[in-house]
Amino acid sequence: MSELHDILAAVTPAGALVACGGGELERKPMAAIRELAELGVNGLRVATILGSADVEVLLGSGAVVEVHSAGVALEGLAPRWREARQSGTPAVIEWSEGTFAAAIQAAVLGVDSMPWPAGIGTDLPAVNPWLKETVDPHTGRPVLAVRALVPDVALIHVTGVDDEGNAYVDGDLVVDALLARAAGCVVVTYERRVEADPGRAAISHIWIDHTVEAPGGARPTACAPDYAHDAEGLRTL
Amino acid sequence: MIGDLLTGTLAEEIAAAPIRVFVPTTPATAVAARAARLLGNERLSLSQGFTAPAGLPRDWATDAFTLLRQGLLGVAVTPVQLDAAGRTNLSGIGTPGRPKVALIGPRGLTENNDTPSPLWYLFAQHSPRTLVERVDIVCGAAPSPDAGPRVLLTPAGCFDLAEGGWRARWLAPGGRDLIDAAPSFPIAIPEGTPERTAPSAATLAALVAVDPGGARLAEFGES
Repeated sequence: MSELHDILAAVTPAGALVACGGGELERKPMAAIRELAELGVNGLRVATILGSADVEVLLGSGAVVEVHSAGVALEGLAPRWREARQSGTPAVIEWSEGTFAAAIQAAVLGVDSMPWPAGIGTDLPAVNPWLKETVDPHTGRPVLAVRALVPDVALIHVTGVDDEGNAYVDGDLVVDALLARAAGCVVVTYERRVEADPGRAAISHIWIDHTVEAPGGARPTACAPDYAHDAEGLRTL
Repeated sequence: MIGDLLTGTLAEEIAAAPIRVFVPTTPATAVAARAARLLGNERLSLSQGFTAPAGLPRDWATDAFTLLRQGLLGVAVTPVQLDAAGRTNLSGIGTPGRPKVALIGPRGLTENNDTPSPLWYLFAQHSPRTLVERVDIVCGAAPSPDAGPRVLLTPAGCFDLAEGGWRARWLAPGGRDLIDAAPSFPIAIPEGTPERTAPSAATLAALVAVDPGGARLAEFGES
């Protein structure tokens, strides 16, 4: 068994909420996702701000009972995501990008909920139990109270990791910096070891529990600047 | 060509908007933003969805919400449905929570739709399937009166959301017929509404300068 397999087996109990880093077709932690899919954790719950191959592979494993996301797509529509939403199984909790980020931010701060200025007047509170319409106690203005979403595990793929375990990303972090602070356990896979200025690290080693080298570990999604997403790979998940 | 007319109008709008960042969502919107830099918004930064280029913050996804609330972030979106009050839907067709046809999901429409930042809705067709009386699933709420400008661009013309309804700023050739063919999506056409057939020479020159191959036209079915 691989190191990654052993780590995930140890840190992912039945019913765990696993957050996947990256966004859309960028920097999805696919090496870890595939290992997780093989583990067959009972009652797995998955969260990602914007999903793609990560959600599709995990839904294909049959282990998932709940998915949280603001949207999932491949180069076109994502078939397993669509089927889940249309059939109701597994459960899909719809978020917007902002409410999802607020839920993770609430987890970072250790508060029960965060106010969020958008979402009043939408259908989201009706379909997402983490969202409740309320009023600001100071001003009386309507706000959405977004309940904290606390991941047990965050899976994040990055370009490089240095000898101290700091993680480096070329490009956008999406909400990975929040996920790393919110999750109970953070597993980072990386393309290669690097020598770099720790002051330029995207995620400090203090937030990271495990690092595992996994070249190509985001494929078929992209990992800038090393590779773009692989259209054929996305079609054959 | 309608592609040049709509992309050019979007470029002019972006050039005149007090925004610092634009988020392209399609090739035509990227061309419009790059042309807008030539048309006056020289310091405009372009993100590439979730791939923020150099010069934009690394925590782009979280900073984007701040920029939106400060009126500094522009985006042109194409929801699957837009309604008479400016509500948007990218989640699916059917019942909220159990759509008959599930699509991508709300994405950022919830945050985009009701902020001080400008928002453009860009459609390659003026279709009654997408321009509806009320969206099936409300992802973006009807903009409040203090929201930034909400402007709709379709092959029928250019329309502003004002006082809870859509009003024509100008019509494209044949625009009145297209509007009549989507009766569930009422648009007021004030007397004297002008017709616009092509972008200005300066705007067209900017489009051609940044997109000499005409990539902007494909999404309008032109080449």
